[in-house]
Amino acid sequence: MIRIGVDIGGTFTDFALTGAGPELRLHKQLTTADDPSRAVLEGIATLAGAAGIAVADVAEIVHGTTLVTNAVIERKGARTGMLVTAGFRDQLDIALETRYDLFDLRIRFAPPLVPRPLRREVHERLRWDGTVETPLDADGVRAAVAELVEREAIESLAICFLHSYVDDRHERAARAIVAEAFPALHVSASAEVLPAMREFERWTTTTVNAYAMPGFDRYLGRLEDGLAALGFAGRLYLMSSSGGVVTPRTARRFPVRMLESGPAAGVLMSARHGRDLGVADLLSFDLGGTTAKGALVRDGRPLKHYEMEVARCYEHKRGSGLPLKLPVIDMTEIGAGGGSIVGIDDRGLMRVGPRSAGADPGPACYGRGGVAATLTDANLILGYLDPGFFLGGAMALDRARAEEAVRAAAAPLGLDLVRAAWGIHEIINEDIARAFRIHAVERGFDARRATMVAFGGGGPIHAMGVARKLRIPRVVFPVGAGVMSALGLLASPLSFEVARSAPCLLRDLDGPRFAAILHALQAEATSFLRDAGLADADIRVDRRIDLRYRGQGYEVEIAVPDDDLEAAFAALPARFAERYAAQFGVALIDEPLEAVTWKVAAAGPEPALPASPTDAAGTADATAARKGGRAIYLPEAGGFADVAVYDRYRLRPGHAVAGPALIEERESTVLLRPGDRVVVDPRRNLVADIAA
Amino acid sequence: MTERTFDPVSLGILWDRLISISDEIVETLVRTSFSTIVREGYDLSVMLFDREGRMLVQGTRSIPVFIGTAPVTLAHMLERFPPATLRPGDVVVTNDPIIGTGHLFDISVMRPLYRDGGLIGYTMSITHLPDIGGMGFSAAATEMFHEGLLLPICKLFREGVVDETLVDIIRRNVRVPEQVMGDIYANVSACEVGARQLVEFMREYGVDDLTPLSRAIREQSERAVRRRIREIPDGTYRNRVAIEAIEAPVHIACTIEKRGEEIAIDFAGSSDCIRAGINVPFCYARAMAIYSIKCITAPTIPNNEGSVAPIRVAAPVGCILNAQPPSPTAGRHVVGHFVTPLIYGALADAIPDRVQAASGMANIITVQGRRPDGAPLATLYFVAGGFGALDGLDGASTTPGPSNMACVPTEIWESRTGIMIERKSLRVDSGGAGEFRGGLGQEVVLRNDTGHPLTVFSMANRTDFPAEGLHGGLPGALREHRLEGRPVHPKSRQELRPGDRLLLLEAGGGGIGDPRRRDPGRVRADVALGFVSADAAERVYGVKV
Repeated sequence: MIRIGVDIGGTFTDFALTGAGPELRLHKQLTTADDPSRAVLEGIATLAGAAGIAVADVAEIVHGTTLVTNAVIERKGARTGMLVTAGFRDQLDIALETRYDLFDLRIRFAPPLVPRPLRREVHERLRWDGTVETPLDADGVRAAVAELVEREAIESLAICFLHSYVDDRHERAARAIVAEAFPALHVSASAEVLPAMREFERWTTTTVNAYAMPGFDRYLGRLEDGLAALGFAGRLYLMSSSGGVVTPRTARRFPVRMLESGPAAGVLMSARHGRDLGVADLLSFDLGGTTAKGALVRDGRPLKHYEMEVARCYEHKRGSGLPLKLPVIDMTEIGAGGGSIVGIDDRGLMRVGPRSAGADPGPACYGRGGVAATLTDANLILGYLDPGFFLGGAMALDRARAEEAVRAAAAPLGLDLVRAAWGIHEIINEDIARAFRIHAVERGFDARRATMVAFGGGGPIHAMGVARKLRIPRVVFPVGAGVMSALGLLASPLSFEVARSAPCLLRDLDGPRFAAILHALQAEATSFLRDAGLADADIRVDRRIDLRYRGQGYEVEIAVPDDDLEAAFAALPARFAERYAAQFGVALIDEPLEAVTWKVAAAGPEPALPASPTDAAGTADATAARKGGRAIYLPEAGGFADVAVYDRYRLRPGHAVAGPALIEERESTVLLRPGDRVVVDPRRNLVADIAA
Repeated sequence: MTERTFDPVSLGILWDRLISISDEIVETLVRTSFSTIVREGYDLSVMLFDREGRMLVQGTRSIPVFIGTAPVTLAHMLERFPPATLRPGDVVVTNDPIIGTGHLFDISVMRPLYRDGGLIGYTMSITHLPDIGGMGFSAAATEMFHEGLLLPICKLFREGVVDETLVDIIRRNVRVPEQVMGDIYANVSACEVGARQLVEFMREYGVDDLTPLSRAIREQSERAVRRRIREIPDGTYRNRVAIEAIEAPVHIACTIEKRGEEIAIDFAGSSDCIRAGINVPFCYARAMAIYSIKCITAPTIPNNEGSVAPIRVAAPVGCILNAQPPSPTAGRHVVGHFVTPLIYGALADAIPDRVQAASGMANIITVQGRRPDGAPLATLYFVAGGFGALDGLDGASTTPGPSNMACVPTEIWESRTGIMIERKSLRVDSGGAGEFRGGLGQEVVLRNDTGHPLTVFSMANRTDFPAEGLHGGLPGALREHRLEGRPVHPKSRQELRPGDRLLLLEAGGGGIGDPRRRDPGRVRADVALGFVSADAAERVYGVKV
């Protein structure tokens, strides 16, 4: 079966094709920002041509896009109205009533996507237990929407009622009224988007969904038409932020779930590598031009999270964006990348990032007018990057400019060039390690038993340094690291996840009722897969519940893999106690247990990726792959030392390389420090062990 | 031991790692806490100290109360239990308001830290407990003895063995013993984790002695803060602020002497303590003063002894900002939060582009009664007023200041309490007008749907004295409570019968600059959004819409 993965990034749109011959085919071309579907269609035609197939031969196209993210960040979504429970029109302005930074008096908050004049109150009210206090005012709904459509010219509508996560009868009834009166209007109802309690976040999520819906629908229409014109008759899927793919029909209903799907695909590919390598605990590490991202994978599955923030509006600070509730791959992201700018913080110490020179003007060494010193400049000065082999030689780097920039940044701190450059490199390693350490600790994840999978343009240079700090013993540099997201798209199963808030004390439940709650969610989650044509036998279900002691505000997630749900119910307290003690190391508490959020993910079969050609391991002698040598800075040596440089494309399974050394490929360079040892595995991944 | 020096790279790396250790412990405490005010308001802190008892770092996310108090608490602990008498596995605790953070609710938990048998430092964590007996979280006490259990400095653990008598005393004196002990043990465990991580840190980075590092951190911080203070013009600045109290208003006053790189703040001229739980121990008044200065000078410099060294604070013994036992202090924030507008008002002309107009402040409402199912109900409801404006920036609506907390969402509140929120909306025209407008307050209607009588009281202010504007900006709207349409004093205890409605009108923030200088386009935008009425636009701003 021929499949194509297409990932749209900020600069490049990446393509990966499998199934036409034994080799994986890759393609990269510039993103067409004005209409991203253009690059997608051109690239698919180009790639098919190169593979000697017709687009009509392609069975599946899996697509990841930043379209939704960009619409929200650039505020280019549809004119959107909102129907809201009477008395709560201002909730989007009132927000969370908290400051995310206590010391900075000038913090700003992201303005709501639906401005106050486009919100209309509707008489209706449910009590907290789902009983009706005020029935829905159907005429009021009609009148409000008529005004919003006719006078305010809205294109999309968010229906947001209180307590709809318990019972969404009013939201459904309002939707039906609107559908009848205005069939062309796009509608998003909050409980459908995600039935989670906390009205501000649920409603904000719903407004993002509504805001993105018309534009996303048009984009998909253009894409589908374009693909049809190329002769494509297969299935199109879209990548979601939770690490599964969905049908265009589902994607049109829930565009908010397409946020940040590219990075999710990269993590999924890491997880796939981990499974191939038999690794239980894995840290996925991606270092790009502006940010570093980390995600944890346990037993082959990326950890999930149900909150995210989009469109931060004040110095990238957590809290300055729109807080959303939706299933996403649990990622930590910090402003550390190749373009991160060197500065002096208020303490008078060196800082790198979060400000970034981006790709334009980019680091000083790009010679495109950038004068600020960046991480890439430092890595060039330290010899880790070859000025003549950046992007495989497609772009020459200017060492003199890099030195000038770093010298200028270092002078006020009284540091010499090399000390400053190494400081920049090391500060980034520390910043990343610190962020990943906290992320791991908060999730009860022991990095010392984990394997790291490193990719992205800068990941391989910094991976061994970061891994050392986290005491991660092994790092894998996968094949195709430059197009991890596009590959990840091909590795993603069809899936849909439902998370419902239904707080209740376990003692008020019994086995049958417990099972009934999960079965209902399971039916909902699997319905999206059945609609896509999957048979029940092919659907795998993953259930998890968030539990806490009554009186606490945070929960611990417990998996319920059991077939016998009633027996699982009986075992819950013991499982919780074990997990709680492992995570927080505290004595048990005699408070009753409360279940808060119920999560069910349904997934189809994992698509088979053609196994990369595996060669029998040959000799360990990698001399044949050596392409030269150069002096690099080695802190262990107290200065510069000559090391061997290897060509990754000439390394064969079984070859071993001992650090200090460099292994170069087009998009990145692996830096091995003294004591590190790489062996090429049968799939041509580089597996590096750190000396204990 | 050889003296180590640190360059601007390695000092930053070591320092940030230490802050990260304390931040990590803070997050663990928040996640396991049974106290609403810890979770929603980060009413807690974590600190690491060197062998000399000098603070290296403090967790980033804490409320201002904890700035600069911990070294004093530790000094008292070490006076009671000199370092030579401490043993590995000891855990020292106290909630004494005067040497701690100002009220009995905060427990300080300290663990001495050993490496290869030698004392190398201390870790301390402080959290606001869910209960401490007495009258609950209110200003109603007339003596500290009414406010609950006071634990003098004592050992909760001796060489790893818990003092069962002490645990029994605590358990028998509080309303929710499981939760209180759960939170105390979480602190003990947090200190242990902190200890392990600090030892690990020393091994990893080859630091044999924390003292030189601690000195470098202090010196670097102090230099940075001094640099920023130097930018404020020298002079003597005074201000006086009136605050609603229980009967007659009280006043707080300050004289700020700014000379070179130092600031001295004296609260002389403030009223005497009163017989209600709103007196402020000096530790709290000092913390609020340092916090206020920090926000307008060096907000990003981490908290430690160096960053507070250039700021001296004094208050006459027995005045309301230096309360002595047995003056009650449970609601110390009621008066203490006014230290911020007091100081900003004093410095308004010296640094007009940095100070903030007064904020509407948050309203913390205590609710006692029964849930619909008959179970006892005792909880807090937070509602924020408007944030004060700054030069160049409108105040954010419904944003608390100077302290911080988060509102419990309506859906969670109703399900936990059975108290219905009928309405929660912005209060038009409540933001103080100005070239930069104060943040709007809000209107909230609570309805007693529990089926049981409900007692409600608050410690809120801004009922007589609004959030003042600066430089010609106008004050925000006053705070009001109305029970079934009839005005009631927020500080009085009110009984809500089933079905009764309580309307909360939250105060707006003060504006900055003459409203007539406001960009007319922004006035029109405010009218379009409904934040300002067309009438006020014309009358106050001179803009016809």
